[in-house]
Amino acid sequence: MRSRKPIDDAPQASPPPAGRKRMAIVTTVWKYLSHAQHMGDRFLVGYPMDGAWKKPAIDVVSLYVDQKPEDDQSAERAASFGFKVYPTIAEALRQGGDKLAVDVVLIIGEHGDYPTNEKGQILYPRYEFFKQAADVFEADGRAVPVFNDKHLSYSFEKAKAMVAASKRLDFPFLAGSSLPVTWRLPSVDLPYGAVVEDALMVGVGGSDPMDYHALEAMQSVLERRRGGETGVRRVQMIQGDAVWKAADAGRWSRELLGAALSRSDSLQGLSAEDGRTQALGEGDEIARIAQKPAAYFIDYRDGTKATLLMLNGVLADYNLAVKVQGRPDPLSMQFLLPPNPNVAYSAQLMDKVVRMVETGRAPYPVERTMLVCGMLESCLDSRQKGQEPLDTPHLAVRYDSPRESLFART
Amino acid sequence: MDPHEPEPAADWTRRAAMGAMAAGAVGAARARAYAQPPAAATPPARPRIAAVVTCYYKTSHGQGIVDRFLDGYGWQGKHHRPALDIVSLYVDQKPKGDLTDERLARHPGLKEYPTIAEALTRGGDGLDVDGVVLIGEHGDYLRDERGRMHYPRYEFFKQVADVFRKTGRSVPVFNDKHLSWNWEWAKEMVATARELDFPFLAGSSLPVTWRIPEYETPDGAAIEEAVCVGYGGVDSYDFHGLESLQCFTERRRGGETGVKAVEVLRGPDVWKALDPAAGGSARTRALFDACLCRSFRLSSPMPGYGNAFPTLEQAAKLASDPLLYRLHYNDGLVGSLFMMSGLVADFTVALKLEGDSAIRSTQLYLCGISPNQTLPNFFSPLANHIEAMFLTGRAPYPVERTLLTSGVLCTAVDLLAEKKGRAETPDLSSIAYRAPRESQYMRS
Repeated sequence: MRSRKPIDDAPQASPPPAGRKRMAIVTTVWKYLSHAQHMGDRFLVGYPMDGAWKKPAIDVVSLYVDQKPEDDQSAERAASFGFKVYPTIAEALRQGGDKLAVDVVLIIGEHGDYPTNEKGQILYPRYEFFKQAADVFEADGRAVPVFNDKHLSYSFEKAKAMVAASKRLDFPFLAGSSLPVTWRLPSVDLPYGAVVEDALMVGVGGSDPMDYHALEAMQSVLERRRGGETGVRRVQMIQGDAVWKAADAGRWSRELLGAALSRSDSLQGLSAEDGRTQALGEGDEIARIAQKPAAYFIDYRDGTKATLLMLNGVLADYNLAVKVQGRPDPLSMQFLLPPNPNVAYSAQLMDKVVRMVETGRAPYPVERTMLVCGMLESCLDSRQKGQEPLDTPHLAVRYDSPRESLFART
Repeated sequence: MDPHEPEPAADWTRRAAMGAMAAGAVGAARARAYAQPPAAATPPARPRIAAVVTCYYKTSHGQGIVDRFLDGYGWQGKHHRPALDIVSLYVDQKPKGDLTDERLARHPGLKEYPTIAEALTRGGDGLDVDGVVLIGEHGDYLRDERGRMHYPRYEFFKQVADVFRKTGRSVPVFNDKHLSWNWEWAKEMVATARELDFPFLAGSSLPVTWRIPEYETPDGAAIEEAVCVGYGGVDSYDFHGLESLQCFTERRRGGETGVKAVEVLRGPDVWKALDPAAGGSARTRALFDACLCRSFRLSSPMPGYGNAFPTLEQAAKLASDPLLYRLHYNDGLVGSLFMMSGLVADFTVALKLEGDSAIRSTQLYLCGISPNQTLPNFFSPLANHIEAMFLTGRAPYPVERTLLTSGVLCTAVDLLAEKKGRAETPDLSSIAYRAPRESQYMRS
């Protein structure tokens, strides 16, 4: 633990010690097991990385929290680690002075009491937080790297505006879920430039938090396909028994379902009851135990198709199967989410933030996250509009994936 | 481990995997000081197997392993159905939650027998199975004054061997976990397997489960020091810790040479061994710390924090009954198993290799036991190796590993009971073997 720094109201922040960077954290809520606690603490007490305990050369110097529930930890963290909680985002970024006084901004808009819209999306104020940060950058004539936890916004328009602002003001911008960077079982990736014939992801949890994670995990693999990412042409979301009928109609592959489920360590139903293993990719048992199943169909502009099945009641982890041209069997993997309270995956994600600060470049393109925001929003729109397919000309998002696999494997 | 582009698994097919395992076993058989006897006859295409278990209830090892043969399991991206049939079952105890009847009802080819001999002869005169799975874990058995659980593995094994002797035919045997709580019996089990000339596989699932990250001792590397950090009780999970350590150390330069002495420390002495200021070893401490950094379930020393690194003082508050088993190998290597219940809840290993400035470390990942998980799939690679033995007639790795770890465990339990610090181990000093060159852990 670092020694406690005196807190005063000096108008100008002192420069950081040589070689160290100053971080502002902007979050909805900081309480035990919230994303802010998981991620923010990494910069306070360090984190495990590559078999060592890493303490990045970054000091949290200021914090903004939007809500302070009874179990708020922000005051305790500020006192223990000698930073200040500011009443506004602008003040946090300027450390109470009149100029931007941090070197990186961490935006964590997850958890807290926010309204839900008619699509079931929680209206976390990520765009609003980001905009206030960008306004400071613009006003002060300097911009610093920004990390945004999870999707950019519930709205693709807002997400697009965020990415546009980062380009206009020219700062590195990293975002997204930890699933793309966590450990995989087995430790495999799509060979760069491979032709993808079909893909199927299985996941669990509510919309829109968990479907977002699942879609981004799948995207982080599929974006490596031949030709790179060129965007999404059409999406559709269906629910209930229609999901199983769609398999019979050839909309998604039972073979890939079997491959994805073969990677699961958390099958439910009879496995939860008496411990037995099950081949839930075969037969009707899966339809019996699934609770309100949903299928998200993603048709890419290059003709690739992919499906996310959200299968509450069937499993409790995230697994992907990809049919790769020239391979006899599907490539399949589990995106491993190690348990609470350590959540080892968040260390992997925060290490990518450290890498961005150290190199001045986001290690992977924010367009991934932007595209997935759009996919998800349009899927939810499809569900709203009678579960009909929706053309998505606005999702012609092109980007190149990094050649190097960036998931945890060392 | 050195970051490099991971290649998708080369072995995509069952056939390739089986071939690889068979090759590993053959390689091992050729190695110096270790010659696994071949099976008496060519194994049949679809072996018939007898399962002999103490218990068969949810979460018991009997259920975890035998279910994988009966119902298959996720393996290399498919639901793998083993190419064998469990045809007979002996269940020693049936506490509440017993699943025997349910499994018998769903698997008409499976029959239950009242004795082990009958399970092997299936009611006839001769041995009428092609392999035997012995699972003596869980159930209500005596825990003696030394803390040893008297699981009847030796007794089960002996009844199996008696049938082999009487019928003049032997088939491969798998024994789950350590051989016996009694060292003399453990030795006898391996001697009997040699005498009756049947493939014998044993041990924990830890050596063959996933590693996070993927890591293996480079074949023939000189190891300067090895540490495992685990959790659990005496004559229980400590066995898993010893196997976790041994599967890395046995690959060192010169192969396994045996253990000449075992030391145990308990309580404050363990922390001293980790504290250079108190005469402990800085290198041991560095390896211990690396293990903690590989844990997914390191307890936080500070309330309200999910994941923070403890000082030794904080670690001592979290782990109230720390244990250290120190293995002094014949070739000078020292291996340490720290049992740290309260501080961690998983098994990690760290190595310092000669000529390598970095510490190499990994977690032997027990998939399926975290909250929300339901399937103890660390049994899957074990089941797969057992299947490979029945199909090829060769044990995929030497039982000497488990003989050695069983001996270390028996010695450690005695030392703890007698409050002694160290014992010379002439019996263990003669256990030399070579591990197969090919890694045996799950990675595809």
